[in-house]
Order: sequence, then structure tokens, then C-alpha cells
Amino acid sequence: MLSRTVMGFCKYGNPLYKNLTPNMCVLIPAVVSSNVQQQQIRTTINKHYNPQFRKHRGAKIIKIDLPDLTKEKDDEMSPERMRSKMKEKGLQPPRPWNERNFYISNSGGVFEPYVPPEGDGKLSAVTVKGAKQKLEFVEKKGKSMMAVRKIKSYDDDFTLKDFVQDATEIYKNAHEALMNFRTDKEKLEEFVTEKAYVEMTENAKYKTVSWKFHQSLSPPKVVHARTNSVVSKDNLFAQVTVRFHTQQSLCIYDRFGRKIYGDENLVKDVLEYVVFEKHITEQYGSWRVHHKIIPDWMPASEPIPRTFRKPEPLPDLPDQPEDEDKSSDSSSKPDVAIATA
Amino acid sequence: MSLFPKITQRLCGLPSPLSIVNASKSLSCGLHTSAWHGAKFSDDQGGRTWFLRNEKVFPPQKPGEEPRPAFVCHMRSNVRGNYKNMWYQACFVRGMTIDEALKQLSFQRKQFCADIKEVLLEAQEKAVKEQGVEFKSNLWIAESFISKGSHIKGMRRHARMRMGEIRYQYNHYYVRLEEGKPPANVYNPKPSGEEMLQEWLERMRNRYVRISF
Repeated sequence: MLSRTVMGFCKYGNPLYKNLTPNMCVLIPAVVSSNVQQQQIRTTINKHYNPQFRKHRGAKIIKIDLPDLTKEKDDEMSPERMRSKMKEKGLQPPRPWNERNFYISNSGGVFEPYVPPEGDGKLSAVTVKGAKQKLEFVEKKGKSMMAVRKIKSYDDDFTLKDFVQDATEIYKNAHEALMNFRTDKEKLEEFVTEKAYVEMTENAKYKTVSWKFHQSLSPPKVVHARTNSVVSKDNLFAQVTVRFHTQQSLCIYDRFGRKIYGDENLVKDVLEYVVFEKHITEQYGSWRVHHKIIPDWMPASEPIPRTFRKPEPLPDLPDQPEDEDKSSDSSSKPDVAIATA
Repeated sequence: MSLFPKITQRLCGLPSPLSIVNASKSLSCGLHTSAWHGAKFSDDQGGRTWFLRNEKVFPPQKPGEEPRPAFVCHMRSNVRGNYKNMWYQACFVRGMTIDEALKQLSFQRKQFCADIKEVLLEAQEKAVKEQGVEFKSNLWIAESFISKGSHIKGMRRHARMRMGEIRYQYNHYYVRLEEGKPPANVYNPKPSGEEMLQEWLERMRNRYVRISF
């Protein structure tokens, strides 16, 4: 039998090895041959030198169906593919579980939201606009009074004077709970409704919020109150809007502790209309922060100083010629978009 | 490890190859010969703690401090290949800038290099979209390594009633991209002659000579 080293350098057609087939010549250096024009060079030697029993050698190995795990994941599989896979394995499709219990702990929105007057001022009653405003005030005040009376019918101790103080505490506690809501989620749930929880924590999930309440510039006051029933008439929710004029400082850090917005030492005057909600027909209901009314006339908050790359336009949208001109102009400059906080 | 029940189940296969080589019946009688279920892999994807790194929130920095570089962790689980061979490719890109790594990998002829390239591109996109990295080229490969995933053991017939083991290996590849430029020395630098001399002197001076003044 020929040794492997000899085989490695054999030349096809050499009379010495005339029993060999071309398949068996594993490496043929191009320099050696003179009569053969095209040379086949194989650098990797993975084949057995004797191809005669190839089939039998292969039969020695037990074949296993190896899955291609990198390409096919359960969640990325199409329904059709999933179906065929399950059929292959003889599995029944999972029985759909349509039963779901749900508990309405808060109303999903704000009933007749309060519209703060522009500039937070009042027009003179002598002018036409002022007279109209006055009439609206009276009308809305009437509805609010009715709502307060309704709340009192369920909660005997309810007075607006006490409520305003409680609301201030709830407002403060809610913001303080937001600062470490990642560690103590239950505490935040105690002071805000499920609707507000999502709105407050959505963008703060991987950020650090540093918030401080300094003082009230003017005493907080109730500006609006409404009650509404959900599902049945006995199931009542009450919403009270409180106007806060306070001094606060706010600073937000990103995931890596880098400052992205505000300043811890900068005290700012803040005017807010906060909606509190309570499930009044429930025995253990409590007042919680539900929503914040942001009026149209309010100036936009200042943009964060950090810059981002301008996102590329979506391919599905039809091309607009005006935008193309703009993009060609801006291509000379770095594309930078300023994101607002 | 709960590897053994898996292995016994995976020593499955078609009985036909065995019958061809006239293997004794006793070989297949102790084995499961049913079809293998890929569902075993669903909770063996790896990288659970690795992705948790992307959710860690660091404490705020003080005004004078150097800003902490952003990073993103990414991985691909169950890449088929030999662990010992793949290790070289994983080490290869370590400490390169992302652009350099992508360029270098495109000239490599290994399948795993193409996989690494895909993972790097995914991680780069993730860094820009999720971690607030402004420039996608301003990244370097801070960590790049592999770990063992599920290894399926196959079987091969040997002479005299013996059998050999074939390992079908699946490995996980992990990468961490960090914002900024790579450091001059990713690994510990080799000490210079002067440093080695100083070290030696220090060692000599600190040695304890027995029965001396």
C-alpha cells in the first residue's frame, strides 16, 4: 500500500502509479508536470486515500437530524412553517385560552378635561370675551360643585381645603417614588394610577431622575371636579384637577450616568394642572395622580443639548421632490437633529 | 448538568445504517430511536445574563468627571462549529475598531467570521438605536468571546463492538461594543527592559536571606 506522503505528490499519468485514478491524486504541484496543461490543485486533504469502501465507511456513522438553530427560531417562524413543523413532530396546536379576568381600577382617560385659560389670567368682565369667559366659568363651576357634592355623598370627611393639602403630598410622594421606581415599584403604584404609571415610567425606564420640590409659590387650588360612572351606574370615579404653582429642580441622567437634561441646582417656577382620581364607590379607594393637563398655549420645553444622527427616511413613503432638494443641500453639512425631551 | 438525558435522547437516528454494517442488535436496544425534538433547545439559548447588562443603570456622574462610555452587549446563540477553531476567530477581532473589524473579517475565509460580521453589524445598529450612540463608527470591540452551547453527541461504529463519539458542537458568541477609540493595549503590555530590571531589583532587595544581619 502506498503511504500517504507519496500520494500527496504523485503525478497523474506517471507509470509508477498507473493504477491510481485522478480522484486519488490529492495534491499535484504545477511545476512537476510538463505534458498536462491544466493542473488541479487541492490544498485540503479531507478524503480517504482509498475510495473503494467509501459507502461502507459512511454507513458506520449514525445519522442525526441536526437542527439549524441559528437560522430558525420559534418566534421568527412563519405560521405556515410552524404548522408544518408541528405536523412533522405530531404535535397538536395549543388550545386557545380566551378567558381573561380584568379589573378596572382606574378610568382610562379624563372626563371633560379642564382647559386652563391662556396665560393663566382672567379677561375683564366688561369686554365681550371677558363676559363670555365669566359665563363659562360660572357654568363649569356649577358642574364642579355638583361633582364635589357627589364625592361628599360617598366620602363624608371630604373637604376641598383638606384635599388640597393631601393632593400636594400625593404629588410630592409620586415624584419621589418615581426617582427609585426600579427598586420599589409598589410605592409608585400607591400614588399614581395605572394610566399615569405607564406615562411616567415609559421614558424613565433606563434613566435616573433627580427631582426636588422647593416650595409653593401660590397655594394650590382645586379648579375642576368631575365624576363619571364606568360600566354600571353605581361604579363611580371622581376626578379633581388641582393647580400647582411651585418651584422645582429637575435633572435627568441617561443609563450611563451622563447628564442629558436639566440641572440639580437650577430652581425653576412650574405651573401645573394635575388631575387626581379616586374610585369613590370602592371602600379602599384612594386619591392618586392620574393625568397632567398641558395647555396648548404653554411654551415647548427646551431641547436636550445632546445631538443625534438624523434618522433616514422610511423607504415605504413616497418620495417628495421638495425633501430631496433639502436633503441634497444638507448633505454637505453634518446631519444633526435636535431631539426634544 | 442535565446533559445525560439529552444525550441519550440524541443518540437516536435511523436504524438503517446500523443494519448495513451488520451491527449487533444489542447496540440499538438501549437507545431511543424516536425523532429528536428541537424543543429541548428553547431554554438553552444562552446569554440571559449577558443581555441584562444592557439594562443596568449606572449612578449619576459629577460635573467634572469624564463621561462614561456607552456600550452595548450582543450575542448569537448556537452557532455550529468547533469550539477550539472558533476561539481564534473570536479573539481575532478583540480590541479593533468596528470599521477595522468589519474590514478584516470580510477578508477571512471562515464561516464563523461571516457570522461574527453579522453579529457586529447587529450590535452596531443596536448601539445607535437603543443606547444613544451618535456615530456608528465611534465604537470598538471591548469584549469578544465564545462559550459552549449544547453539544450533541453522535456515534460512530468501530471494530470489536466498540464505538467512537462524534460531537456536533453548538457555541454561543458574545460581543460587547464600547463607544470611543480602542486603548493602545487591550491585553496587559509586555514590560520593557527597564521595567523588568526594576522589578528584578525590587525582588532581590525584598528577598529574605536566612541567618543574615
